[in-house]
Amino acid sequence: MTITEPAGPIGTAPFTTEPLSDDRLTALVRALRPVLADDQILLAKTDRYNRARVPAPFPVHRWAERVPDVVVMPTSTEQVAAVVRIANEMRIPVVPRDGGTGLTDGAVPHRRGIVVDVKKMNQIHELDLVNRTVTVGTGISMMKLNERLAKHGLFYPDDPASYPCSLVGGRIGTSGWSLIGSRYGHTRDLVLSFDHVLPTGDVLHVGDGIGRKISKSSSGYSLKHLFMGHQGTLGIATKATLKLFPKPEAELSPFWAFDNYEDAHACTGALARAGVATFAGAVLFDEHKVAYLRRDDEAYIPQPADVRALVCSVMYGYEDEVRAGGKRLFRIAKEHGARYLGDEISEGDWAARHDRYATPLHGRTKDGQVIPMSWHCEDAAVNFSAVPAVSRAWHEILADLRRKTDVFDDWGMFAYTSAATGVDYLTEIDVGIWEQRLDDKAWAAWVKAKRDIGAVALAHGGSMSACHGSCREGEVDLVPEELGRGFDVMLDVKRSLDPNNIMNPGKYLLDRAYGRDTTDENR
Amino acid sequence: MRTDDQPTGPSASAPYRFAEQHTPPAPVRVSEVAQTTFEHVYEVDPRLMEVHVLQQVFPNWDTLRIMRSRADHLAWMHTHFAEKVITGSEILAEIERESTPVPPPL
Ligand SMILES: Cc1cc2nc3c(=O)[nH]c(=O)nc-3n(C[C@H](O)[C@H](O)[C@H](O)COP(=O)(O)OP(=O)(O)OC[C@H]3O[C@@H](n4cnc5c(N)ncnc54)[C@H](O)[C@@H]3O)c2cc1C
Repeated sequence: MTITEPAGPIGTAPFTTEPLSDDRLTALVRALRPVLADDQILLAKTDRYNRARVPAPFPVHRWAERVPDVVVMPTSTEQVAAVVRIANEMRIPVVPRDGGTGLTDGAVPHRRGIVVDVKKMNQIHELDLVNRTVTVGTGISMMKLNERLAKHGLFYPDDPASYPCSLVGGRIGTSGWSLIGSRYGHTRDLVLSFDHVLPTGDVLHVGDGIGRKISKSSSGYSLKHLFMGHQGTLGIATKATLKLFPKPEAELSPFWAFDNYEDAHACTGALARAGVATFAGAVLFDEHKVAYLRRDDEAYIPQPADVRALVCSVMYGYEDEVRAGGKRLFRIAKEHGARYLGDEISEGDWAARHDRYATPLHGRTKDGQVIPMSWHCEDAAVNFSAVPAVSRAWHEILADLRRKTDVFDDWGMFAYTSAATGVDYLTEIDVGIWEQRLDDKAWAAWVKAKRDIGAVALAHGGSMSACHGSCREGEVDLVPEELGRGFDVMLDVKRSLDPNNIMNPGKYLLDRAYGRDTTDENR
Repeated sequence: MRTDDQPTGPSASAPYRFAEQHTPPAPVRVSEVAQTTFEHVYEVDPRLMEVHVLQQVFPNWDTLRIMRSRADHLAWMHTHFAEKVITGSEILAEIERESTPVPPPL
């Protein structure tokens, strides 16, 4: 097929990773000036480089290839819409960015262009104490929001392990997963509605029906889910109305030790299936995770050798309900051969789960020497019954990589309940990556491993991601396989909402909607 | 360490003496790969930090500051998420009490 690149503002944004020419950049900045104040348009190298990556390890020698041309920091929906309109007219890529903590490269400007950083849109617009909702700018963090809500005895329970630094808009863009989602639901359940700027610059209100504060409507298509989890490829959420709960009176977070993985797995299932109303989640740590923690984690170094797997469970609610539910869960744990690990670990480790940036950023060479490493996490959604088989297969993939090179270190696996009934688990394997040594060869090996990891999840009837998304090299190749005919629908939706491919282009193989397969470009 | 406890050791306002600050308590081996100095302060076995990452020397006050601020952080997180923490040992004690047969009245 012959492809003619568009020369100017006709057709789609060019499929290029080259920076804008000086003329185009000057024209862009000139067009932005009437819309934004000078300090809302950032051109300095540091401002742009800092918004060129996310925490997921990548070949750092290629950092310069993904630096945006301009960063803008709008303060209102109108400003976002105006910026997007300009970008659409000029066929310049736009990438929404919130906390920048996403692990699938969603906020990385693969085609450069304009990064729309929404952090200045962090206001609380309305607190409705009667209907129990809050309306916020999407640049606010859940932690800052909850500090304000606590004064009213209220709580917004979206609790990722990046809780202090991921923001409401990024949660919408990824359709995030929450540690305590088994009690309160995940981002899609907690966000009632939002204002959304489409790739053409039109503004749409997305909710159940047209409602702002409606949690269930049957009117029209359910568009809310479509405009969540799209990784910024369908537009930018600017103002969101969220569901609120009473701030919990009590928390209980027991950790139990097991001398084998099978009992721990069975126990996790039994805890989740018990139907305890205050049950907010359970986490299963496998043998590799325990071995990893024994190296560096103060809580686990002193554990006796027969501790081979762990389970933690957490409950939130009124004190009397938590106590009653807690007794039931303790009895279940005992029936499965659990040993309570004590109050110190139980409380300390649970409190640390809300902020996994505290992960020790070092690993080991095969001969045991400490090396600096970045943390990566591959996640999938897997049914309870499939968790052991998926875990075994994933560790084999990692073992194979490690046999070849010290760049990768297996940091073990967690399986977290996604729902109160225990149907499926966010299953994650944590991998230490020696980022400074991640040359093109090691990166290619890693991309293949990621693809294999995704394929295992699919082969066991799961989905390739429970929380991060599947945009990165490796797993993205399998998205058409996972979604089947649904992937064609994605292409149709993308083309009709973003006729010029300006909104976060190059993600999710969506270039195919414009007659171009860029899967292997720039690899 | 319980989050409401603090690690032992000199307080932040104790007088600063260089030699003292650079003499941590004698290390005690706790596993194949780790040792402790102050109570609850774990360190990687220095023999494993000789090639790619070298161990840094911290004055004692800084080691303790890091430990204390971690404890503060965890305590803060608890109160941020719930008014009160119920301990597992309380629940276990309740279960124990309930399962102990009540002696028949004399
Ligand atoms: C230590 C750590 C722990 C983590 N734990 C979890 C976890 O438990 N659960 C979980 O779900 N994730 C977790 N993550 C991943 C990440 O925090 C989530 O994906 C989070 O939702 C991203 O939010 P952000 O504000 O950082 O978004 P960003 O990284 O800035 O953006 C994420 C995606 O959303 C798009 N986007 C950003 N803003 C908007 C907007 N306003 N409108 C539309 N699209 C937008 C971006 O283009 C990008 O594709 C973790 C990450 C780290 C580093």
